[in-house]
Amino acid sequence: MPAGHGLRSRTRDLFARPFRKKGYIPLTTYLRTYRIGDYVDIKVNGAVHKGMPHKFYHGRTGRVWNVTKRAIGVEVNKQVGNRIIRKRIHVRVEHVQPSRCNEEFRQRKVRNDQLKAEAKARGEKISTKRLPEGPKPGFKVEGAMLETVTPIPYDVVNDLKGGY
Amino acid sequence: AFIKAQKAKPYFKRFQVKYKRRREGKTDYRARIRLINQDKNKYNTPKYRFVVRFSNKDIVAQITSASIAGDMVLAAAYSHELPRYGLEVGLTNYAAAYCTGLLLARRVLKMLEMDEEYQGNLESLGEDYSVEPADSRRPFRALLDVGLVRTTTGNRVFGALKGALDGGLDIPHSDKRFAGFSKDNKQLDAEVHRKYIFGGHVASYMRTLMEDEPEKYQSHFSEYIKRGIGPDNLEEVYKKIHAAILADPTAKKTEKEPPKQHKRFNLKKLTYDERKTKLIERLNALNSAASVDEDGDEDDE
Repeated sequence: MPAGHGLRSRTRDLFARPFRKKGYIPLTTYLRTYRIGDYVDIKVNGAVHKGMPHKFYHGRTGRVWNVTKRAIGVEVNKQVGNRIIRKRIHVRVEHVQPSRCNEEFRQRKVRNDQLKAEAKARGEKISTKRLPEGPKPGFKVEGAMLETVTPIPYDVVNDLKGGY
Repeated sequence: AFIKAQKAKPYFKRFQVKYKRRREGKTDYRARIRLINQDKNKYNTPKYRFVVRFSNKDIVAQITSASIAGDMVLAAAYSHELPRYGLEVGLTNYAAAYCTGLLLARRVLKMLEMDEEYQGNLESLGEDYSVEPADSRRPFRALLDVGLVRTTTGNRVFGALKGALDGGLDIPHSDKRFAGFSKDNKQLDAEVHRKYIFGGHVASYMRTLMEDEPEKYQSHFSEYIKRGIGPDNLEEVYKKIHAAILADPTAKKTEKEPPKQHKRFNLKKLTYDERKTKLIERLNALNSAASVDEDGDEDDE
């Protein structure tokens, strides 16, 4: 009989619960709130059978576009052929985690606003742009011993390998 | 005989512990998940639970909402507060549970300044009463959380539930499990339930004991007798307590200053040097005891 390409085909290990983490899932997954526009990671929880996304979306990150009673609508990019489509799926909250992909950006936003406000109070202009790492500054080498290396003349008698 | 160890290392390596509160036998996670789960499109709106727990000598009633940091208690009422309202005996019976539920409900409503709108059930206790929504605000809604109690008809948790309902909270319920519900008629007998709320079952037991075994009555109900509570005035006692609760349900903070030195409940961990000196002392003691006591074959291992 051929292998079959059902909805959950080839997910034996992908949807399996990790070692010693079977059973009830911790309650924080139910207590989190998600707002439209948040970034979320999709990670399927094999213990909950309802509202499972297709295995393609496992490990994808997308934005929330809808919030319903028990599930969240997530917009994920999928490459189909020669183009990328924005696909909208609904996933139950057990299969979703808040993403940390833009956490650094949000923190930087807050910090920059603070810096700008302080600079405005002092009356000076600052740039909050991120700069790439520049070349390292020059330095002087201390305590270096100069050693001149010259080749030694070739000695046939001694340098012949394997004995003479 | 050689007995093979039943639980070898691989057993422990693969053993998955249950959640801590499950191991302690205190939380039913299946029920908890269903009580706490809030609709996602209600975002941060709290879902309140009316938690009732019984210990051997106390009743705890709380209004709690869940959060990731931990459950937040909005208000709590204990049956050991009932002496403040005049009830000093029988603090874990059906009637005391009713009083505690009533106290909690009035306390919460007063805290949220809803106590004028929702007076609750003031007469005809015993019948199934549900709060009617007033014009200005909707009633305070909570869900009953019994914990690990077996929900049989006439259980004291439902006494507390009735107290909270009569206090004015909106808790979805049915009258199937109130004391006095008969399975044959499929109807709640309001008279029987009212009897239980006012300790009528305790009073009738008192009467039977007084007739049949007066000594047992004296020993069993000694505290009641000391306070002059008999089967006839039991109902009035509870009526007075209900009135006192309705009058002033605010919680009183106890003035107890924190102890100067923090009490230790477990042994302090010794340092390496302390442990070594302790070992040397123990060995010396053993050696001296062995030399004094010629017969003993204690070896210093």
